[in-house]
Amino acid sequence: MKRSPPPEKGDSHHVPVAGGDTAPATGRGLQTNGDCHLFPRSTGFWAEAWRRFRRRKLALAAVAFIGGLVLTALLAPAIAGTKPVLCRYKGRIYAPCLGYFRRDLEPAIFTKDRFRGTYPRNLAEKDPESWAVWPLVFQDPSRSVRADEWPGEPANPARDEGRPSRRNLFGTDQAGVDVFAKMVHGTTIALLVGFVSMGIAGSIGIVMGALGGYCGGWVDILTSRITEIVMCIPTLVLILAVIAVIEKPTIWHTMAIIGATGWTGIARLTRGEFLRLKGAEFVLAARAAGAGPVRIMLRHILPNALAPVLVPITFGIASAVLLESSLSFLGFGAPPPTASWGSILNDARGNLAMWWLVVFPGAAIFLTVLAYNLIGEALQEATDPRLREARK
Amino acid sequence: MASYLVRRAVYGLLTLVVITGFVYGLARSMPGTPLTVQLGETDPSRKVNPEDLERLKRIYGLDKPWPAGFAQWIANVARGDLGRSISRKQPVATLIAERIGPTFLISGTALVLAWLAAIPLGLYSSARSGRADERLSSLVLYVLYSFPTFVAALFLQIIFAVWLRGTAWELPLFGMGDAPADAPLAARLADVARHMILPVTCQTYVSLAYDSRFVKANLEEAVRQDYVRTARAKGAGPWRVLCHHAFRNTLIPLVTLLGLSLPGLIGGSVIIEQIFTWPGMGRLFFESIRERDYPTIMGLTLMFSLLTLLGQLLADLLYCAVDPRVSVE
Repeated sequence: MKRSPPPEKGDSHHVPVAGGDTAPATGRGLQTNGDCHLFPRSTGFWAEAWRRFRRRKLALAAVAFIGGLVLTALLAPAIAGTKPVLCRYKGRIYAPCLGYFRRDLEPAIFTKDRFRGTYPRNLAEKDPESWAVWPLVFQDPSRSVRADEWPGEPANPARDEGRPSRRNLFGTDQAGVDVFAKMVHGTTIALLVGFVSMGIAGSIGIVMGALGGYCGGWVDILTSRITEIVMCIPTLVLILAVIAVIEKPTIWHTMAIIGATGWTGIARLTRGEFLRLKGAEFVLAARAAGAGPVRIMLRHILPNALAPVLVPITFGIASAVLLESSLSFLGFGAPPPTASWGSILNDARGNLAMWWLVVFPGAAIFLTVLAYNLIGEALQEATDPRLREARK
Repeated sequence: MASYLVRRAVYGLLTLVVITGFVYGLARSMPGTPLTVQLGETDPSRKVNPEDLERLKRIYGLDKPWPAGFAQWIANVARGDLGRSISRKQPVATLIAERIGPTFLISGTALVLAWLAAIPLGLYSSARSGRADERLSSLVLYVLYSFPTFVAALFLQIIFAVWLRGTAWELPLFGMGDAPADAPLAARLADVARHMILPVTCQTYVSLAYDSRFVKANLEEAVRQDYVRTARAKGAGPWRVLCHHAFRNTLIPLVTLLGLSLPGLIGGSVIIEQIFTWPGMGRLFFESIRERDYPTIMGLTLMFSLLTLLGQLLADLLYCAVDPRVSVE
């Protein structure tokens, strides 16, 4: 049958040449004239993929879980902390809890008035008129809460005494720091690691794969060699060595290194997709219409190659989270003040009787990895036409 | 064929030189040298005086810039000499030979166990595809696949070494064996086996989950082929179709996967060996980085990259051997 060029923007094929037999075979959506109702109106590739993705309840639950993590990370200072979310002090309103995101966001007046981090008593003593909105859980992610810091409450138990209790939901670690507060504030790292490192890996991988697949020749040989070399370097060793080289490693360094080593699979897949699509009719049409190589790669091939490439990126997020937590677990992760879930697990190695140091962060890491894997698999089934037929 | 192998060998050699050069430069840029790290840590008051340090540096060839050191290392390797470990005062080759056995004990056992269980599981789940029991087992495998090894290792340690302490189920927390050297062989073997249980379990379940999903995915691809329909049409039973017709054709990707697991088989797992303080290659790697023991780092890097390259080559060659449609060109 003759296919008219897709009129909607929703379809990922951009057709520079109109009508006739030169129009590319879209393959994924059948288009018909407005009057003919033999075929259902095509909904475009991504809408169709979303429709299929939505059918998988587990994947939707996984998306909701990640959304919950994002909310937790954003609201962390309001969920657990020892600094008021909002308070009125000496006639003005402040939000000291922002100090958890960045030290210098904490209003200077509290340093000047010698609060030394303990708000409840100081607020009442230095300004009887003051009021404050407190976080849901009065616990700090980086230090133990002292006795009577919150009027009438005892100090956090230290050493191996800190079983989970009403005051310390997930227990406390050796130093008496609340594990729940640590985990809530560590959510940011768990999320950032996945997105930042795979953002880096995805960009490198797509550029390398696209260049190799589209240009061919010596460019292809070069990019393939580089990919192979990076694949052969033992990742963990490379990461450990690079972290040792950096003088003051931060979590950002870890993310950059994970990204810089984790792009090989993406590059190979992108290369394959570009090789396959390079010969497609719509690319030929684009070239005939005078599009340059960069435009063809970015506007014509990439949108069509994106779906298969998204799948390894999602799985990559899962393995990046895993890698970061195993690094922290080995003691090579973010430096002390930034608590990551893996570093809590590292504390547990000292005393295995403190099972709560394993169960809660372990479950958090596991659920996060599982969620990304579920999303990745659902994406794969939603976007791969071959698997789609199998489900019928 | 011969020209293909030569080309692969040349490329491989080039890759090896680039990788080892990169790791050498990286290792030499790490703060501290094996001499300062070692002497400073054992006794801070006994810091070596500068002249001694210079003398030691000259002995180990650390006074030269790293490209010169790397050239020297390459020349030695070409003569079959991996050098001597600085912190352990032993030839690197001896160190590696000592550690290969324990690592292989764990990874080899885990590999065999995983495949022994994964193939029947994969067959079973594609035979019962879509039924309730298959969905459940797939879900369990999926959950296992996402379960971090180090968390599982800690859980197992808590259960078997802390909660079950004093019972018959207690298992040792770490190490490879604590039976006295004069104990009878059977007792020593049993002791090592008891120490192996937890690390092998940790290593097995991840590969098991991955492998069985891999087998299943390939089988599902195979049962959609025309020859399977033909086999069914001529009256072959469901199991015969699955095992005889479909499964035999999925051996190709399996062989590739086996080839790619070669480096892990010998290289070991840093995390598992670290948690269970198993005296294997992964732990040696971890320790040598901490001790800045350049010769050992380099020896292990060389071995690991060589194995990765060999595994890839093996996978490609085996691929051609099992599938006559594919040629190495």
